[in-house]
Amino acid sequence: MSLIKQLWLIIVGLLLLAFGGSLFIGVTSSRAYIEQEVRIKNADNANALALTMSQMPKDAVTLALLVSAQFDTGYYRRIELRDLDGAVIEQRQADAAIEDVPAWFTELIDFDVPAGTAVVQDGWQQFATLSVESQHSYAYRSLWQSTLELAGWFLLAGGLSLLLGWWLVRSIRQPLHRVVEQARNIGMRRFTTSQVPRTHELREVVVAMNQLADTVGEMLGTESQKLDVLRRRLQHDAVTGALNREAFLSQLQIHLESHDFRASGTLVLVRVSRLTQINEQLGHAATDALLKALTESLEQVAQVHGSGLAGRLNGSDFALLLPGLDDAEYVHQELVKRLKPLIRDKDAMIGLPAAISRYCQGDRRSSLLAGLDGALSSAEGRGQHSITIIEEGKQRSLFPNHAQWRSALQQAMQEGVYLAHFPVLDRDGKLLHYECPSRLRLGQQWQAGGVFMPWVRRLGLETELDLAVVEAALQDIDQRDQAVGINLSAATIRDARFVLELRSRLHARPSAAARLWMELPETLAIQDLPSFRTLCRELLPLGCKLGLEHVGAEFTHIADLQDLGLTYLKIDSSLVGGVTDSHEQQTILRGMATLCHSLGILAIAEGVTSHAEAMTLFELGLDGVTGPGIRQHDKSSL
Amino acid sequence: MADRSTHAPASPGRRRFLTMMGSLASAGVLGLRPDRAEARLDATRLRRSMADAYGQPGLDVLDEWFALLDRLAGADLDRQLREVNSFFNRRVRWLDDSLIWDREDYWATPLETLGRGEGDCEDYSIAKYITLQQLGIPTDRLRMIYVRARIGRSQITQAHMVLGYYETPDAEPLILDNLVPSITPARDRTDLDPLFSFNSGGLWAGSSSRSRANPVARLSRWRRVLDRMRRQGFIQGR
Repeated sequence: MSLIKQLWLIIVGLLLLAFGGSLFIGVTSSRAYIEQEVRIKNADNANALALTMSQMPKDAVTLALLVSAQFDTGYYRRIELRDLDGAVIEQRQADAAIEDVPAWFTELIDFDVPAGTAVVQDGWQQFATLSVESQHSYAYRSLWQSTLELAGWFLLAGGLSLLLGWWLVRSIRQPLHRVVEQARNIGMRRFTTSQVPRTHELREVVVAMNQLADTVGEMLGTESQKLDVLRRRLQHDAVTGALNREAFLSQLQIHLESHDFRASGTLVLVRVSRLTQINEQLGHAATDALLKALTESLEQVAQVHGSGLAGRLNGSDFALLLPGLDDAEYVHQELVKRLKPLIRDKDAMIGLPAAISRYCQGDRRSSLLAGLDGALSSAEGRGQHSITIIEEGKQRSLFPNHAQWRSALQQAMQEGVYLAHFPVLDRDGKLLHYECPSRLRLGQQWQAGGVFMPWVRRLGLETELDLAVVEAALQDIDQRDQAVGINLSAATIRDARFVLELRSRLHARPSAAARLWMELPETLAIQDLPSFRTLCRELLPLGCKLGLEHVGAEFTHIADLQDLGLTYLKIDSSLVGGVTDSHEQQTILRGMATLCHSLGILAIAEGVTSHAEAMTLFELGLDGVTGPGIRQHDKSSL
Repeated sequence: MADRSTHAPASPGRRRFLTMMGSLASAGVLGLRPDRAEARLDATRLRRSMADAYGQPGLDVLDEWFALLDRLAGADLDRQLREVNSFFNRRVRWLDDSLIWDREDYWATPLETLGRGEGDCEDYSIAKYITLQQLGIPTDRLRMIYVRARIGRSQITQAHMVLGYYETPDAEPLILDNLVPSITPARDRTDLDPLFSFNSGGLWAGSSSRSRANPVARLSRWRRVLDRMRRQGFIQGR
């Protein structure tokens, strides 16, 4: 039996006991009192009448008159005069006049009052025995009325008490529910904290659980910090903090090969001219500071845009990767705005020429970089701060203008989204889900996200696209009976309407919803944590799975995500590539997997290129792998 | 009270009579069932009560009373009536309540009457009533009777109480009086006018504790003296 039910039982039981008891006591004591009064009246009147009769002549008329006078003017049920042998001399009797009182009540009360008796004296001799019974039906009535009154008060007070009880129970139940919810969350390794209730006993539990959650959060924080330190050492330039050459180039490669919005965007190369001279002139420390400032400016540009990356390719060359952004002019302006302060602050000798190029899916990394390098050299020749835009990308656009893009996209979405299928397998080679990047049919061809995503974003069609993708995914799940993973875009999770729409669609198809895995790039989720939280809170109860993809740099934020109830993290290929040979990477991945497990989150590796890699990853404790080297029905090789 | 005569309506005697009526009525209230209880003695308790209240002289009188009871047990009725009547008429000196007890109308128990050796008319009647009951005479044959007494040949009357013995309910009673040493049939007592009679019928029924707890008991003089008797050991609770 639930605690709340027990509380209610106790409250109702106590009420019934208290009021039923008081009703019973009230009625019984009234009954006793009335009986006593009637008994006294009977006795007194019998004595008084007998006394009168003793003084009067004992002829039949006088006796009859005396009895009648007493009986007619008073309230009597019976007055009886019997001689010493028991024969009736005179008798008056009235019916018990009990109106408007229920029979069961009179039967229940049933006054038991003996008649008052007295002896009538005739001179020295005893003459007769007089017995008198008062009418006590009025007592039934008044007792009945007072009982009704008591019952009325009982109802009123009972109602009030129940109201009070309801309030009391509610004030216990609400915090109790929260405690239960929190305990359940902790059971699912979601270390949430909750408001401390006022109830003493509950407060202790909640304080303890909050403490546990805080401790876990702190532990996660420190552990993930440690991992991040390792990761930074591995992937970042020690002086500036930007990605180092290997890391940046591998990221670029990943972007170029990806199937989503990252596959197209803008790449920028910035050079610090005459770095050696600057170094000599300003000194080592100042130069380092300058480079650091430059990196910070580039990272600001990257962050303004969203999921950009800044890297240091060599001593003087810096690169900026802005996936999903193909507006070179905008990038140009941003760069000018951000770089100007650096130059103004420092010696005029500093030159920061830059080259901007758009990239598309399928571009080769080497040719892209060579093109940029050439453009940068010519820009450097033209002037200290000249910025060149390589224009050739424009011709590759499928449609010439916004209007045509819009109509083409809308038509394509109406025709239907095609989902590509890339398996995500667990350590037994079983399918976790298919990773399904969307394809749209544009210009007679199925195009990958890299082609249309920048335009979808530019035209604000993300919500429509995401809903179409969700619909396609749910259909796919029904058809193939396999779990499907899709990407959500940042704009849609901010859109409350989308969240509600998604919620209702998933709610309508619970079985399919349970097999829908939805993921978001880590950087986007972290940037708008409140929206992401809302999304998790709304969607997770429906049974679907939520996760983050391309997890790497922001893994330190896992402590902030611990209470969301995420199902999985996909670890970025930049951390996965070459894991077989790198002890540092192995340490980092092992740590990440351990932390994920401590929160009940699956750790999945992206961009796995070979079975050997997959084997190593599973040894490190990862739960799933995906990437070009992973094919289904490949159990023997895993 | 026999030495005080009065005609005034508010005289103590009249007043006493009226209050007596009231208390009598209250006493009747408690008569729930026909009386089945005999007045039985608790001798040790009586002795203790007597010793506490009146010391050795009281105890001596009490022993004489016990001796009387022993002597009369099983004796014929005439002798029982005669000796009980004369025992109290001899032992107890008549005195008004206000002189004995410093208040009017105090109904004393036989123990108090014997202990003091003083009493007025109803104290005699009560003591004789209890004693005769103790000797096994049924309660319904004994009635205490309010009478109007004429003193000597004068027209002076006063309120008085005597004990009547009724052989049968409709018989003429024998009168036990403290004014007259001998027991006479009622018709010979032309100096007395009977008014009303009562006895303890019904009063001792029910459990003793219940009647003690009954607040009504306090209102009735007759009832109160019966209660006091029970406490002193005359009437053992069932």
